[in-house]
Amino acid sequence: MTRLRIFLFRLRALVRSQQMDREIDDEIASHLAEATDEYVLQGLSPDEARRAARRSFGGITQTREVYGQVRSFMWLEELSRDVRYACRTLRRNPAFTTTATGTLALAIGANTAMFSVLNAVLLRPLPYRSPEQLAMLWTEDPTENLREGRAALWDVEQWRGQSQTFADMATFDTVSTVLTGVDGAEQITGASISPSLLPLLGVQPVLGRSFSTDDVDQKQRRLMISHRFWQARFGGSSDALGATLVINGVPSRIIGILPAGFRVARVEADVWEAHSTRRSVRGGQTWFVVGRLRPGATFDQAQAEMSAVALRVNEQLPAVERNRGISVVPLTRYMVGAQSRLALWMLGGAVFCVFLIAATNVTSLSLARSTARAREMAVRAALGANAGRIVRQLLTENVLLAAVAGLAGTLLAFGAIRLVRAFGPDNLPRLNEVGLDLRVLGWALAISLLAGILVGLAPAITTLRRDLRPSGEESGRSVSGGTATRRIRRALVVAEFALAIVLLVGAGLLVRSWWHVTSIDPGFVPERVLVMGVSTPPTVGDPAQRADLYHRVLDQIQAVPGVESAGIIDDLFSSNPREHVLTVERDDGTASGRLRLLRDEISPDFFRAIGTPLRRGRFFSAGDRPGAPRVAIINDAMAARSWPGDDPLGRRFKFGSGESDAPWYTVVGVVGDMRRQGPEREALPQIFVSLAQNPPSRNVGVFIRTSSADPLASVGALRAAVRRVEKGAPIYGVAPLEQQLGTYLAQRRFQTSVLTGFSVVALLMAAVGIYGLIQYSIATRTQEIGLRMAIGAQAGDIFRMIIREGLALSLTGAAIGLVGAWWLGGAGSSLLFGVTASDPVTFTTVSLLLTAVAIAACYFPARRATRVDPIVALRVA
Amino acid sequence: MTPDKSDVLYGTLGLMIIKTLEALGPLHGYRIARRIEQISGNQLALNQGTLYPALLKLEQAGWISSRWGTSESGRRVKIYALTRAGRKQLDREEAQWQRAASIVERFLKISEGSS
Repeated sequence: MTRLRIFLFRLRALVRSQQMDREIDDEIASHLAEATDEYVLQGLSPDEARRAARRSFGGITQTREVYGQVRSFMWLEELSRDVRYACRTLRRNPAFTTTATGTLALAIGANTAMFSVLNAVLLRPLPYRSPEQLAMLWTEDPTENLREGRAALWDVEQWRGQSQTFADMATFDTVSTVLTGVDGAEQITGASISPSLLPLLGVQPVLGRSFSTDDVDQKQRRLMISHRFWQARFGGSSDALGATLVINGVPSRIIGILPAGFRVARVEADVWEAHSTRRSVRGGQTWFVVGRLRPGATFDQAQAEMSAVALRVNEQLPAVERNRGISVVPLTRYMVGAQSRLALWMLGGAVFCVFLIAATNVTSLSLARSTARAREMAVRAALGANAGRIVRQLLTENVLLAAVAGLAGTLLAFGAIRLVRAFGPDNLPRLNEVGLDLRVLGWALAISLLAGILVGLAPAITTLRRDLRPSGEESGRSVSGGTATRRIRRALVVAEFALAIVLLVGAGLLVRSWWHVTSIDPGFVPERVLVMGVSTPPTVGDPAQRADLYHRVLDQIQAVPGVESAGIIDDLFSSNPREHVLTVERDDGTASGRLRLLRDEISPDFFRAIGTPLRRGRFFSAGDRPGAPRVAIINDAMAARSWPGDDPLGRRFKFGSGESDAPWYTVVGVVGDMRRQGPEREALPQIFVSLAQNPPSRNVGVFIRTSSADPLASVGALRAAVRRVEKGAPIYGVAPLEQQLGTYLAQRRFQTSVLTGFSVVALLMAAVGIYGLIQYSIATRTQEIGLRMAIGAQAGDIFRMIIREGLALSLTGAAIGLVGAWWLGGAGSSLLFGVTASDPVTFTTVSLLLTAVAIAACYFPARRATRVDPIVALRVA
Repeated sequence: MTPDKSDVLYGTLGLMIIKTLEALGPLHGYRIARRIEQISGNQLALNQGTLYPALLKLEQAGWISSRWGTSESGRRVKIYALTRAGRKQLDREEAQWQRAASIVERFLKISEGSS
C-alpha cells in the first residue's frame, strides 16, 4: 500500500518535476531567511547571520540533489538523459551511425525473415486439434526398399482393430477429378477421405456439415469443397450448400465448406469426397493413413504396438509379403521431412552467423570510436561519473543503435518475407503460412537487444579496464588506443573470418552439389518439350474408345506447325512407383516376385518426343495394335534387374503370378534410364506397354517436342487441335517440361542460393572488418611507421609488415573456421549430392578465396602506410 | 551516497520529525529543525538541509501532509502536519525504538556486571 502510494507520488512528481523544483527552492529560501532572522535576533550582523544560517543548513546543492533523487525514479531520469545524450552523439557521427545501423538492420532483417520461415514451417503447431497426437502410419518392407508405403483398407481395418494406443485411424488420398460445367469439362484437384478423418483431425467445416458414414452409401454423392474453391466459384455465398457439381460425370451435392487453407498432411484439394472404409477382402486401392494416439500414449509405444500388429497380420498373408512392417511417423515430422528440416536449421544457423559477423563488425567500429572517445570518458570520470555510469551510457548508446536497426530490420524482414513467399520452393509445406506474428516480432526484438548488448559490451569492458585518469596522453604520444582494445578487435576479426569460412565452405559444398545435380543426364532431353495434361471426358467410358481418342488427338497435334513429334504417356510422368507381382521368363525357367516399378502405357512416338535413346530393339509401331501379340519396352534398370547379364530382347514376362491368366508381354526394345523422380533419385525399373494394346487411363500427359525455343508459343494451336477431336476434353497443367522438372530442384536451388548469398555477405563483412582494423591500426601506428622508415625501413618492408599482420589474423580465423566447417559438415552431409562433407576441392578453393580477399582488404591500407612521410609522422608526435 | 546509509539516517530523522509534529502540531521546516536541535540539547549537529529530503519521504509515505502557509514572520512557508497514518506509524516506531533501546540497555548492564 505504502509502496503504491510512493510510486504514484513519484509518478506525479515526474510530470510536475519543474514545479517541484521551484517549490523546494522557495522552501529553502524561506528556511534560510527564517534562520537569518533568528541569528540577527541573537545579535549577529545581517551578513554574519546569513553566513551562519547557510552553515547550519549545510550544502544547498546536495539537499536539492538528494531531494530530487527521493522525488523521482532516479534511473528513469538518468535513462532519458542517457537516451537524449546518445541521440546527440549518434547524430554527430552520421558515418558511424549509418554504417552501424545499416549493417545491423540487414542482419536483423535477414534473421527475422529466416526466423519467420522456421516459425511457420517448423515451430508453429499444425492447425489440427492436439496435433502432437497425430501420426502417419506407413507400410514398409525393408527387403523391397519400400518406405512410406500406403495401405489398403483391409490392412487399416486390421490395424485399427488390434491397436490399443490409437484412438482412431482414417484414410485419404488425392483422386483424379474432372468437373463438368457449362463451359466444358476441366481437371481440378480432388481428394477422397474416410468419413472419420475430419473428426479425427478435429476440423470443423466453416459452413454446412462434415461427412457421416451414411454419406458414403447414399445414391447421390456428397461433397465438401475447399474455402478457396468456395470463394472462387460461389463468391463465398451460402448458396453453395446444397448446390450440385458434376464430378467425374456424377452429379454430387455440396454439404460443407472446409476452413481456409485446410489440408490433410500434404494433400490439398478443391473437392473432397468420402470413401467407404468397409472392405472384406484384401487388395485394391491403397491410401494414406493418419491416426490419433489416445491421450497419454507415446509414439514409441504406438510403434512398438504396431510392429507387433504387423507380425500378426503377416501371418495371414502369402509368404512373399511376410516382411511387411508398419512404421509410425509423427505427423509434424512427416509434414516437413528430415532433409527440409535440416536445411532450414542450417539456413537459420547461417543467417545467425551473418548476424554475429555483422555485430562483430559494428563492435569493432564502436571500439575504434570508444578509443577516440577516451578523452571524453576521462573528462566524465573526472567530473565524478563512476564506471557504472559510463558503462550504462555506452550501453544505452548501443542499445539505441540496435533499436533503430531492429526497427529498420523488421521492415526489411517484412519485404523479405514477401519475397520468400513468392520465390520459396513450392514443395516446402506451410510456406504460405510465413508471416510476421507475435513470435517473429518477439524474435526481432530479442535479437535487436542482443545486438545492442553484444555491440556495447566490448567498448564498455575496455572502458572499465582502461584507467579513467583524465590523461591527455591518449590523444597524443601513446602508441595506440590501449592494448585491451587492440586485442579484442583482433580477436573479433579472427572470429569473423572463422564464421565466414564456415559459411563459405557450406555454400561451396552446396554449389558443388548443385553442379553435380544439374549435370546429371536425366535420360531425356527436356528442352523445347511442352507437357499438356488431357483428360477423357466422362462421356467416353469405353477404354478402347479412349485409346482411339488419344491417337486422334496425337494425329491432330502432329499436324500443328512447329511440332516435331508428340507422344502420350499414361497419367503422371513423375508418378510414384508401385509394387507389382511380376513373372519373368529366363533361361532357367520362370520366376515370380514383387518389384517396385513404374508401368506406363505410351504411344509409339513417346520416346522420340522426349528424346530418350533406344539402346536395343525397336520402339512401338502402328503394327502393335490390339489384336497383335502384346509388346513391351523396358529400361536399362529393369533389364539389369530381371535379366541380369542377359539379352532381354524377345523375353517374356507378365504382371501377376505364374499361375495367373494375365497376358504375356514380349520385350521388343530397351531404352536408357530416365530419372523421372528428379535428378537426385536413381532411375527405377520401368516397363512401357503400348497404349493401343492396354486400356489407357482417363488422364494422360501429352509430350510435344516443338521446333521453337519457347514451347509455350504454340499452346493456343495445340489446345485447338485437342478441341477439334473432343470438345469436352479437359486440358490442364500446360507447362514446359523444363519448368516441371525445375520444381524438383526448387528446394535445392533455394538452399544453395540463400546460403551462397549469406556467405558472400559474410565474406564482404569480414573483409570490411579486417580492412577497418588494419586501417585503424596503421592510423594509430603512424609514428611507429615513421620511426621505422627514419631508421631505414623500406616501403616494401612496411608493406610486408602490414600485410603480414592482416594475413596472420585472417589465416588464424580461417584455420579455426575450417576445423569448424569440417566438424559441422558431417551433420549436414545428407544435404549434399555427389560431394563429401570434407570435399578437398571446396576446402582449398574457399581457403584460397579467403586469403585473396584478406590480402585485397589489407592492400590499400598497406599502400597508404608505405606513403607515410617519416618527418611529418615524427613531427606530429 | 548510498541509499542504505541515508535510509538509516532518514529512519531516525523521520521518527524525530513525526514526534515533533505530534508534540507541537503543524510546523514549517525551519521550526522542525530548530525543535529537533533544541530537544537534543544541541548535541545533534543536524545539517538542516537533510531535513527536506526526509520530509518529502515521509510525505510520500503518507505519514505527513503539507500545504503552503505563512510563518510567524509572515513568510510563505510549507507547513507540515501529522496524518492519521503518521500517528499510527509513530506508535509503531516508538514501541520499536523502546524495545531496541531496552535490549541495548540490558546488554550494557550485563557488560557492566561481568567486568
